[in-house]
Amino acid sequence: MSAPAAPAREAVTDPPPRPSPVQGDGTSGRSRLRARWRRARLPLGLLLATAVVVLSVALLPAPSSIVPYAIDNAGPDGARAVAEILRDQGVDVVATTSSAEAAAAPAGTTLAIAPGLPLTPDERGDLADAGADLVLLDAGADLVSRATDGAVGSAYANAPRTTREARCDDADASAAGTATLGGSGLVSDDPDAVLCFPGAADEGAGYAVVRSGDRTVRVLSSADVVSNGALLDAGDAALALRALGHHDRLLWYVPDGGAPAAGTDAGLLPPWVGVVGLELLLVLVVVAIWRGRRTGRLVTEDLPVVVRASETTRGRGRLYRAGGSRGHAAAGLRALTAQRLAERLGVPRTADAGALVDAVARAAELSPDHVVHLLYGPPPTDDQALLLLAHELDILESEVHPL
Amino acid sequence: MVLTWRAPVLAALGLVPVALLPRAQTVLVWTVVVAVVCALDALLAASPRRVAVVRETSRSVRLTQAATSTLTLTNGSGRRLRGLVRDAWVPSAGAAVNRHRLDLPDGESRRVRTALLPTRRGDRAADRVTIRTVGPFGVAGRQASLEVPGSVRVLPEFASRRHLPSRLARLREMDGRAAVQVRGEGTEFDSLREYVEGDDVRSIDWRATARRRDVVVRTWRPERDRRVLVVIDTGRTSAARIGEAPRIDASIEAALLLAALAGRAGDRVELVAFDRTARARVAGATGPRLLPALADALAPVGPVLLETDWTALAATVEQRLSQRALVVLLSALDASAVTTGLLPVARRMATRHQVVLASVADPEVVAAAAARGSSAEVYDAAAAARTVLERAAVADVLRRHRVEVVDAGPDELAPRLADTYLALKAAGRL
Repeated sequence: MSAPAAPAREAVTDPPPRPSPVQGDGTSGRSRLRARWRRARLPLGLLLATAVVVLSVALLPAPSSIVPYAIDNAGPDGARAVAEILRDQGVDVVATTSSAEAAAAPAGTTLAIAPGLPLTPDERGDLADAGADLVLLDAGADLVSRATDGAVGSAYANAPRTTREARCDDADASAAGTATLGGSGLVSDDPDAVLCFPGAADEGAGYAVVRSGDRTVRVLSSADVVSNGALLDAGDAALALRALGHHDRLLWYVPDGGAPAAGTDAGLLPPWVGVVGLELLLVLVVVAIWRGRRTGRLVTEDLPVVVRASETTRGRGRLYRAGGSRGHAAAGLRALTAQRLAERLGVPRTADAGALVDAVARAAELSPDHVVHLLYGPPPTDDQALLLLAHELDILESEVHPL
Repeated sequence: MVLTWRAPVLAALGLVPVALLPRAQTVLVWTVVVAVVCALDALLAASPRRVAVVRETSRSVRLTQAATSTLTLTNGSGRRLRGLVRDAWVPSAGAAVNRHRLDLPDGESRRVRTALLPTRRGDRAADRVTIRTVGPFGVAGRQASLEVPGSVRVLPEFASRRHLPSRLARLREMDGRAAVQVRGEGTEFDSLREYVEGDDVRSIDWRATARRRDVVVRTWRPERDRRVLVVIDTGRTSAARIGEAPRIDASIEAALLLAALAGRAGDRVELVAFDRTARARVAGATGPRLLPALADALAPVGPVLLETDWTALAATVEQRLSQRALVVLLSALDASAVTTGLLPVARRMATRHQVVLASVADPEVVAAAAARGSSAEVYDAAAAARTVLERAAVADVLRRHRVEVVDAGPDELAPRLADTYLALKAAGRL
């Protein structure tokens, strides 16, 4: 008796026709360069387009700001109109938000201080001591007092803006004739101080001029005189342009509360940090190139469909459950039990229910009524009853033995 | 160009000059140094495109057996080649370690072997061979991926061959070569010989005994040279998963065992894998060539997501079989699919041939029918009971039309089908 094993088909390692060698991947240096260029063309183009867009946005004139009384703000509360008119008249108008720069304004220039965020007492002192002629627009009482060496004070009354007559002998005010002014009025006991545009009763003046030495300080009780929105009211334009246009150079200061003296945080880090950071950046780039190139492409697998054969049966069970079809479910369980019992007891398939019930009752030594109730009884009313029925059918099956 | 781990180390070494001379220019100079060293190293590396590569593979291998892929690399670059070669295969080819170090002087050849342990049947293809060479400093190099064709045909596992010895023993029993002489219905007259004690008295040939002085008995042997046509359904129902493998895998196992057995029994075995057209055919292979031919033909056959065209299949069967034969249909006993497609065809076929329908049952359904854990499981059990009953009903209808039905789980189908074959042979119904 020879070993009846299947014909062995072991690994065959003898392909007689030796395959011809493969050399190169059919590319040359030039073709690779061309392919690389073709591949890089689109991303490079996109990158270039992005760069152009970013650059043009950066180079375009800055859009109008929204800072009140800023000379690049074209809104009703901005001061672009007055600045542009002054420029047309040959005045060099420069904006700043740095108190240090403003305080450094030299004599022979004009420094306009627009309302902005609150200033510190130090800043107020520095600004008051600036060499340039000052034009204070709706400045706080402290700044007004310091800038005029106490000559002008505030009336502490918030008057509404009204059109007022000049009623003084200041050349600018007389030229303007009328102006719409309001705010906390200006008062002075000093004979050197010229007060113009007085309001009603104790509202104080709207405009004050104090000359001390070769420096002139002009105080306007409301800044709206220079704003785009109010410039055309009464003689506002004349007053503003004349008050601001005394010198060829105008420094326009809007306090923004930030930017304390530069260079304070640079001292916290050692000077070589930036250079080492650059070097580490180089290392990072090299690591990226090193890890970025795979040893050949990923290989894909065409995977077969994964559908479990029992899926339909499970789906059907879920449908029974979702629909609460206890009748259907019980009928299925009963039919399977009945079929198995019939097979086991040799009851022919064609026999009627009575014959099967009799055979089962005899084999299991149970009353026929009980068997009828189990196999052909009414559908269970709830899930518990269904579970119970399933268990009882199992017990019935286990009790029936072939005769 | 590719970089090695040494390139970032070189870049990091730049921290030394930066520490000595902390200026941005130092970084710039070091960047240039790194770039120049890398470019120079890549230029000095051997060209991977001037390496001749030959791939030799095991031609065919049975599933679960190991195969090898051998690459022969010949360095024709004119320089010493140091680097790495990757022999890429599809994941199911089971190439665990496929990267090999290379140190190849100019003009020499080396062989690198990649062990494969395929995890799926069929033709498993090789992907590209990637050669990465590094320059003399080991900082940078070049890389090329070459299309080197190669594939391994992974044959069906034929795990069911362990059932073959016992079935062959039964076949020999029937064959009369064994000690016991059994006269069956399905046997044909072989020869006369003298009676020895123990022989069945019913097999005494009285007429021959009368002519001679000794008692003579007839000997019998089973029919031979019958035709067996195995049809594997590769339609949509064969794609369903039973356990871990699709239904078609169990069908193939059963087909191989049946073919091995029938081939030994002296029958002529043919095979067709069919859905809407024939996907594989084997005819005329006999003896030791039969099983390799079947395995080779069945290796690339996979399920197709189409409804099987049973009418066309019947035509193919009729065209192949001029005389009565055993037709084994390996398909699914799915109630709807059988009644709409298979039943009329099988009924007509059964009038001329002995038809057997072998189907892989799902053990999960059988297990689900017995689950009683919760009310949810009982609903599933009820659905499973319905499925079992429907299959039984369909099987009954088929049996009534003289179609034998074998319905068993994936592991039992092959031996059950072999047993059915032996029973039919013993009964002379082939």
